[in-house]
Amino acid sequence: MINKPGWIKRIFSGVEDYHRTMTSPERYRRFRRTLTLVMIATFLIPLILTTMLSYYTYRSQMLNNLRWNAESATKTIEAFLSELQTVLAYTVNEHTYKELIDQDNLNKVYHRLKSHYPGVVDLGIIDHKGIQRAYAGPYELLGKDYSDRECFTGATASKIFIGIVEMGYRKVPHFAIAISFFNQDAGQNWVFRSSIDATTLDKYIDKIGAGPTSDIFLVSRKVKPLLQSTSQQYGPPLSPYPFELPHNSLGITISEERGVWDYVVLKAVSYIEGTPWALVLLKHGYLYGKDWSFFKARLFFIVMISTVLALLVILQITKLFVGRIREADEKRESMMAEIEHTSKLASIGRLAAGIAHEINNPLAIISAKTGLIMDLLEFSEDFKYKKKIGSEINGTSNAVERCKVITHRLLGFARRMDVSLESIDINSLMREVLSFLDQEALYRGIHVDLDLGDSLPIIESDRGQLQQIFLNLVNNAIDAIGKDGKVIIKTRQRDQSSLQIDVMDNGKGISQDIISHIFEPFFTTKDSGEKKGTGLGLFITYGIIKKLGGHISVRSTVGVGTTFTVILPIKTNLSRRVHDVESKSTGS
Amino acid sequence: MSKVKVLVVDDEIEFATTLAERLNIRGFETTACFCTEDALALIHAKNIPDVVLLDLKMPRMDGMETLEEIKKYNPTIEVIMLTGHGGGIPLVGADRKKFSPFDCIMKPADINELTLKINQAMAKRQASLNKGEGT
Repeated sequence: MINKPGWIKRIFSGVEDYHRTMTSPERYRRFRRTLTLVMIATFLIPLILTTMLSYYTYRSQMLNNLRWNAESATKTIEAFLSELQTVLAYTVNEHTYKELIDQDNLNKVYHRLKSHYPGVVDLGIIDHKGIQRAYAGPYELLGKDYSDRECFTGATASKIFIGIVEMGYRKVPHFAIAISFFNQDAGQNWVFRSSIDATTLDKYIDKIGAGPTSDIFLVSRKVKPLLQSTSQQYGPPLSPYPFELPHNSLGITISEERGVWDYVVLKAVSYIEGTPWALVLLKHGYLYGKDWSFFKARLFFIVMISTVLALLVILQITKLFVGRIREADEKRESMMAEIEHTSKLASIGRLAAGIAHEINNPLAIISAKTGLIMDLLEFSEDFKYKKKIGSEINGTSNAVERCKVITHRLLGFARRMDVSLESIDINSLMREVLSFLDQEALYRGIHVDLDLGDSLPIIESDRGQLQQIFLNLVNNAIDAIGKDGKVIIKTRQRDQSSLQIDVMDNGKGISQDIISHIFEPFFTTKDSGEKKGTGLGLFITYGIIKKLGGHISVRSTVGVGTTFTVILPIKTNLSRRVHDVESKSTGS
Repeated sequence: MSKVKVLVVDDEIEFATTLAERLNIRGFETTACFCTEDALALIHAKNIPDVVLLDLKMPRMDGMETLEEIKKYNPTIEVIMLTGHGGGIPLVGADRKKFSPFDCIMKPADINELTLKINQAMAKRQASLNKGEGT
């Protein structure tokens, strides 16, 4: 046997136990259960791992795409603002405060800028006090006080300032880019302010095109952020954005967000450098969108179909596998039992023959002595107990005679038999056998039915021994019925190489505890009545059938009847068997 | 008419003597020997029996060898084998077939059957003697 690792032995302990105990249905059920579980686990674990891996790969791919889109959008907005700032700074550098404060000059600058950047709403020059000294644009904003506005204070503090989107004096969403300069002539700071239409941001964002399932917009960096551009989900600029922004202002922060329909959306937030804005990219359909649904459905169906198929295959395979093992075990067990039985019978037979031989000599002495006494009695004159002694000696002789029958039958079983092969028509042999028993059957009111198969092949066997077999079996059937019943003898071809003969009776039947012993020597149930059994009939029948290369089996139900089935080979290598028997028996 | 001379050879003394006695009662002139050597010595001493009842299985020299010796010495002596064994007569080799016994009877033998066989054997011996076989 192959040395298996300990854990395999532990799992399959049910099978290992087989070698120690007999087969039982529970053992095979347990083995089948274990095998099924092991196979299912072997199949399902990699499947679950693969499924999880696919899920996480898909998710990670989604995150990477989102990160890439967010980065790309951020860079686009930053580039646009940077360009605008550069253009505005250049414009201011090219002109002096005096030139710009001149309304005509400012109008010229405004129109030039407007022609290149249509998003520029207006331009304004604010003095060191925060009063707008010059203005070019569609509104009446000259002289407006910006001293408390962020664009003024912010630009004064950090040179360049970009404001959040607001309505302000203009009552339309816009944001300001303000640049402060130092007027050397006056020795004071002034601020060049440009208002940019908030829709410009929408246009740039639309150009990014993060995909149909995405929502991309800017929000203000406040505790309660406001939209800075239009969001498909949250509305136009200045609508509130209901979530807080992440504290980490570096890089891109990715998180999940529950959207308006309670759908989970994937969110990327990136702060835009130098602005009061953060870019928010929402990826819809991350968990519930079309792609995800398709992916999920596909994954689900693959897993389900694989699992169902695997379960069916595993169940079938384990059923087949365990069935085959069980069949093989049972076959082996029955073969072992038969070998054991045959060998037991053979050894008992040999032992019995040996004993019979040894008993025959003292029996011969008893027989001779009682015979002599009888002789002496016969030739002697009458005396008081002559008759009594004669009757007692006669009893002894009868007992010796019975012993003789037993020993002779035993010896007959064990002795070398000259098997003479001849062609035999089994049907005519059965008729011959029945002719011996016709009278007996008639006397007992037993009807013997012959159900003989048509055109059976002629078999090669020993006529005398076959007669002995069937005489014994039919005789037993008649005895089992006793009076008034039916015996059926059925012959048919079993397969290409054998015939089957059934001897059925509707007698009293044989109980299960007896049936396993009926082929053993000295086992008899005919212990009463005038016909005492020697217990050797079926034992000898069994031996002869085996010698002729055949097989005998018995089925019986108490109260219903018994069927003896004899299988005989059509052609058998009998010469070899006879030789074997001879070589065993010679020399004794 | 002289009595038929029967020699019983069997290592079972009780059996041999009792059988001899029973045969004597039935009018045979019976002698019992308990080993083959004694039996052969008796024959060689010109005490020729008509019929020998010979046990098949005996120590030293078995029944078949004894049969051979007897038949070689005088082929008209008829030998009836007695056996307690069911194996019948082990015929091995062509020589053994040449010296076949008149019959083989299983022990314990019925006395009537035995006397019948002895008489038949005697008739055969008589016929052989009439033909002029033997010495």
